[in-house]
Amino acid sequence: MKNNIVTFIAVFLISIGAQAQLDRSVQPKAGPAPKIQLGKPQTFNLKNGMKVMVVENHKLPRVSASLSLDNGPIFEGDKAGVRSLLSSLLGNGSKNISKDDFNEKVDYLGARISFGSQGANMSSLSKYFPTILNLMADAAKNPVFTQEEFDKEVTKLIEGLKGGENSVGEIANRVQGALTYGKNHPYGEFETEASVKNVSLTDVQEFYNTYFVPNNAYLVIIGDVDYKEVKKLVKKQFGKWKKGTIPSYTMPSVSNVAKTEINFINMPNAVQSDVSVISTTNLTMNNPDYFAVLLANQILGGDFDSYLNMNLREKHGYTYGARSGLRASRHTVAKFKASTTVRNTVTDSTVVEILKEINNIRTKDVDAEKLKAVKSSYVGKFVMALERPSTLARYALNIETNKLPTTFYENYLANINKVSVADIKRVAQKYFTTEQARVVVTGKAIDVLPNLEKAGYTINYFDKQGNSTDKPEMTKPIPAGTTKETVINSYFDAIGGKDNITAIASTMTVYETEMNGSKISVTEKRTATNYLASTAMNGATVMKITANNEGVYMNGQALPPAMSNEMKILGTFTEFSLLNNENATLNSIEMIDGKEAFVIKTTGEIINSSVYYDVKTGLKLKEAQSTSMGGRTQNQEATFSDYKEFNGIKFATKKTGSMGPQKMTFTLADAKVNEDVNDADFK
Amino acid sequence: MRLIHYKLINLKIFLMKKIYYLPLLAMLIGTSLFAQKVAFEEFDLDNGLHVILHQDNTAPVVTTAVMYHVGAKDEAAGRTGMAHFFEHLLFEGTENIERGTWFKTVSSNGGTNNANTTQDRTYYYETFPSNNLELGLWMESERMLHPVINQIGVDTQNEVVKEEKRSRIDNAPYGKIIYKTGINKYIFKTHPYGNSVIGSMEDLNAAKLSEFKAFFKEYYIPNNAVLVVAGDIETEKTKSLVRKYFGDIPKGAPIQRKTVTEKDITETIKATEYDSNIQIPLKVFVYRTPENTSKDSYVLDMISSILTGGKSSRMYKNLVDTKKMALQVLAFNTSQEDYGTYTMGALPLGDVSLDDLGTEMDLEIEKLQNELISEKEYQKLQNQFENRFVSSNASVQGITNSLARNYMLYDDVNLINTKIEIFRSITREDIQRVAKKYLNKNQRLDLDYLKQEATK
Repeated sequence: MKNNIVTFIAVFLISIGAQAQLDRSVQPKAGPAPKIQLGKPQTFNLKNGMKVMVVENHKLPRVSASLSLDNGPIFEGDKAGVRSLLSSLLGNGSKNISKDDFNEKVDYLGARISFGSQGANMSSLSKYFPTILNLMADAAKNPVFTQEEFDKEVTKLIEGLKGGENSVGEIANRVQGALTYGKNHPYGEFETEASVKNVSLTDVQEFYNTYFVPNNAYLVIIGDVDYKEVKKLVKKQFGKWKKGTIPSYTMPSVSNVAKTEINFINMPNAVQSDVSVISTTNLTMNNPDYFAVLLANQILGGDFDSYLNMNLREKHGYTYGARSGLRASRHTVAKFKASTTVRNTVTDSTVVEILKEINNIRTKDVDAEKLKAVKSSYVGKFVMALERPSTLARYALNIETNKLPTTFYENYLANINKVSVADIKRVAQKYFTTEQARVVVTGKAIDVLPNLEKAGYTINYFDKQGNSTDKPEMTKPIPAGTTKETVINSYFDAIGGKDNITAIASTMTVYETEMNGSKISVTEKRTATNYLASTAMNGATVMKITANNEGVYMNGQALPPAMSNEMKILGTFTEFSLLNNENATLNSIEMIDGKEAFVIKTTGEIINSSVYYDVKTGLKLKEAQSTSMGGRTQNQEATFSDYKEFNGIKFATKKTGSMGPQKMTFTLADAKVNEDVNDADFK
Repeated sequence: MRLIHYKLINLKIFLMKKIYYLPLLAMLIGTSLFAQKVAFEEFDLDNGLHVILHQDNTAPVVTTAVMYHVGAKDEAAGRTGMAHFFEHLLFEGTENIERGTWFKTVSSNGGTNNANTTQDRTYYYETFPSNNLELGLWMESERMLHPVINQIGVDTQNEVVKEEKRSRIDNAPYGKIIYKTGINKYIFKTHPYGNSVIGSMEDLNAAKLSEFKAFFKEYYIPNNAVLVVAGDIETEKTKSLVRKYFGDIPKGAPIQRKTVTEKDITETIKATEYDSNIQIPLKVFVYRTPENTSKDSYVLDMISSILTGGKSSRMYKNLVDTKKMALQVLAFNTSQEDYGTYTMGALPLGDVSLDDLGTEMDLEIEKLQNELISEKEYQKLQNQFENRFVSSNASVQGITNSLARNYMLYDDVNLINTKIEIFRSITREDIQRVAKKYLNKNQRLDLDYLKQEATK
C-alpha cells in the first residue's frame, strides 16, 4: 500500500513535471523528413517542333499557360530596340480581331495575356481557358503591325530610356553588362535613342518572321485542366503554325581583364554607391561541379547568413543587403557577380571587404557546420518549391533545354548532400576570382573617388553608355545666393568680424619651422598698400619680397611687369585683393580632406591661384598657386589649420607648405595686429 | 474537384426538367465552392494571445506567423521610424537564440523568413518544411517572451535602417511616391499617418535604448498579438504545441490607444516634390478615404480597376493608347485602420504638361461621378475580382498573412472566404456614389512630382 502511494505520488509528480518542464534553452529538433513525390508533367510534341507540357492541378479553378521560344540570345546590333518594339506590338489583337475588341474580351473575362519578343503568357479561370488560349494563339500566329502603333511605341520606348538616366541601379546594370560581355554581345548591348530610331516597322516584321516561330517552342500549361482535352485544344490552336528558318549565330568570345581593376561610373545624384565585383567563367547545369558551385555561392553571398551579408550588413552596417550570384549559362560564359549598394562614405571599405570575403572562401575551409546548414537550406527550398505546380513544369523544361539526365531532379538532393568541404574550396578557386575581376563602382565621384584612389587599383572611368571617359571633375555647383563677396565676408566673420577686420591698419605674422637642423622663419607684414615677406635662416635674411602699387620686388629687383601685374596680394589680408581683383572669381565647391570648400580662382597668363574656404566654418583651408614662365611650371600649396585668437583676430597656427615634392610644416610664432609695422620695413 | 464538375454537368442535364431536385443541385454547387474555402479554427490562450490554425496537407509546408498590433502610427512624437527599427531589433537574438543566428537557424533548417512593418501593425513569419513546425513556434515564442534588446543591436541596426531608407527611397526613382514620404504629410496633418514608416534620419539617430525597452514592454505582449499556424499540420497536436510554447508568456497591461481625427479636407492642397533619381515627372492626385472596414473602401478598389485594370481600362485606353499623352498611368487604393488614401496619376509622354494630364484625369473622375458605368463594364469588374479572389489563397504563406490581417485589422477572420461577397454586393450606383463623395477637387492633394536638377 505504501509502495503504491509512493509510486502514485511519484507518477503524479512526474506528470506535473513533464507539463511544466519546457526547456527553452534547447532548440527543438526536426521531425522525420516529409515524403516528397516528384511528379512529371505529361508531354506531347507537335510536328512543327513545339513541345507541350501539361501539369494538372485541381486545387483552384484556374489555369496558366506560358509559351517560350528557345532560340537562344539574339544580337540586335545597331537596331537594338527591335525586340522591345516587337514585344509591345504583339498582342494588339490579330488579323481576325481588332486591338480594342481583343483587350475588351480579355479584360472582360478577368484574364491576363502578355507578350514578349520570344514568348507569351496567359492566366484565367479554368472555365475561360479555351477562349483565352485561343486569343493568345491567334495573336501569336496572326499579329497586326501598324505604322501608327509602331510610331507610338517608339516614342514610349525612347521616353522610357530617358526615364532611367538618373537611376543608379539602371545605369549600373547597363554598364556592368557592357563592360563584362562587350557591346558586341547579346548580353552586353543595350538600347539607345539612336539605335531605337534606327528601327523601322519592316525590321519588326522581319524579326517576327525570322524568330517568332515554333521550331524551338515550349508550351507549358498548369492548373485545372484535363490532359486529353488540352491536347486536342493545343493541336487545334498551334498545330498549323508553320516552322521557320532561324539563322545561325556564333556568340562572341568573352574574356576577363588581365588584372583586377576598378571601373568607375559617375552619378552625381547618388546617395549610395553600387559596388559590384564581376568576372566570367564557364558553367552549365550538366557540369559535375554544378551542385558544389550552388552551395559555394550560397555560402559566399546567397542568403542573409552569407559571408558577404554578415560582413557588410551585420558586422559593419554598411548596407541593407549584400549578395553574390553565379548562374549556369548554356549559350555563353556565366557571370559571377558579388554586389551591394552602400552609403557613399564607405564605398572604398566595401571594395576591400568584398574582395576579402571572396578570398576567404577560396583559401579557407568552410566550417563543416556551415556547409551542413547550407545543405539543409537547399533541401528545405527544394521541398517547399513543390507547393507550386509550376515547379514541376520548370524542372521538365530545364531537363529539356539544358540536356540534363531525366533523373536530374530525383538525384538533386543526393547530389547536394555529396558536396564536401574540399569541393567548396576547389570550386571557389576555379569559379570565383579576386585577381581578374572588374570592380564596377557606380556612384558620386566627389564623395567616393578620393578614398577609392587610395585602394591601390588602376581606375578606369566610364560614362553612362559604358564608353571610356576621363576622370570626372571633382566639383559641386555653388548654391544660389553665394558669391565671392559672401564667401570672403564669411571668412572675415569667422576670424574676428567683418567690421573689425576692415578697421585694421596692419598685420604681422611670423611662421617658423625646422629643416635639416636649421631654423627657418618667414615674416609677413601687411598694410593696405604695402607688403613684405622676409625669409630668414638661422636669423639671417635669405630672401625678401616687397610689393606696393608700383610693382613687386624680390631682393630689391623688380619682377617683370607681366608677372607682377598678376600678383595681386596687397591688403592687410590677401582677401581684400581678391575682392578687388576682377580676375578672381568664385568657381566651385571642391572636397578638401573630406570637407566641402568654396574655391576662389584667379586666372592669369603666368600665375593661376586658388584659395579654398571651408563651406561650414568659413575659415581659409588652403592656398595653391601655379606659376608658369618660359615653359616651366612651379606649383606651391599651403594649408591652414588650428586657428587661434591673437588680439581678437584668429590666425592659423599651423601652416603646411609644399613646394613641389617638398613639404614643410610651419608654426605660428608671433602674430600682431596694428603693431610692429612701420613704413621703413617695406624699403 | 474534376469529379464533382463532371457529376455536376451530367446531373444538371438530367435534372433540367426536375425542379424538385434543385436542393441537391444547390448542394453540389455549394460543395465545389466549399472545396476552395479556407477552413480554420481559432481560440484564445489565458494570456490573451489569439490563435488561428489552418490545416492543409497538400504540400509539406507550414508557416508560423505572429502579428502584433503596433505600427508606425503608435510612435511617440519625435520618434518616427521606431516601430520599423524595432522590427529589425527583434532579429538580434533572444535569451536562447544567440545574436546573429536567427537567419542561419531558419535557413539551416530548410526555411525562409521575413517581417514587415506598416502604420498599423508589425508582422513576423517563418515558412518551414512541415517537419519543423515546433522550431517555428519556439522561435516566435522566444521573440515574444525575452528578446535581447541592447545597445550593440541598436547601433548596428541604426545603420542598416538608414541604408534601407537610402536604397528604397532616397536612391530609387519615385521612392517618395511608392513609400508615401512625399504624399502622406500633405494628407494627414494631425494623424500619425502623416509620418513615414521608415522615419527620418534625425529621429532614428535620437532613439535611445531605454525607449526601445519601454516600447517592447508596452506593445509586444500576447494580448496584443495573434499567432497563425497554417499548412501541413494536425490541428489537435498543434494546439498543444501552441500552449506549450506560448502558454507561459505573461499577459501585459491593456494598451491605451489615442484616437486622432483629421479635419475634412475642404480645399485643394497644391504641392511640389522633387526627386533626383528620375527624368520623367509625375502628376498625382491623392484623396483621403475611409478606413479599411468601410464598404466604400472596397468600392474604391473597384474604381481603381475601372481606371487602370487592364488595357481596356478607362485611363489606360484613353491616356496611353488613344490620346498618347501618357507613358504610364496608375490608380490604387490604400486603406488602413483609421483612414485610407486613393492615388491616381500619370507619367507624361514627350512634351505633354502635367496640367494637361491633370485635366484628363479630372474628366475621368467627372465621368464616374456623372454616369453609371455600363452593364458590360460592371460584369467585367465582377469577373476581374472573381479572378483575384481565386488567386488570393494560393499559398500557405499568403493564407497565413490573410488570416492574421483579417483578425487584427478587420476583426473578421472569415473575410478570407467572404470578401468576394462584399465585391459582389457593390452596385453601379455605389460606384457613382463613392466617386461623388470622395473624389472631389477640393478634397485632394494635387502634386507635381518633378526631377531635381542633378548636381554636377
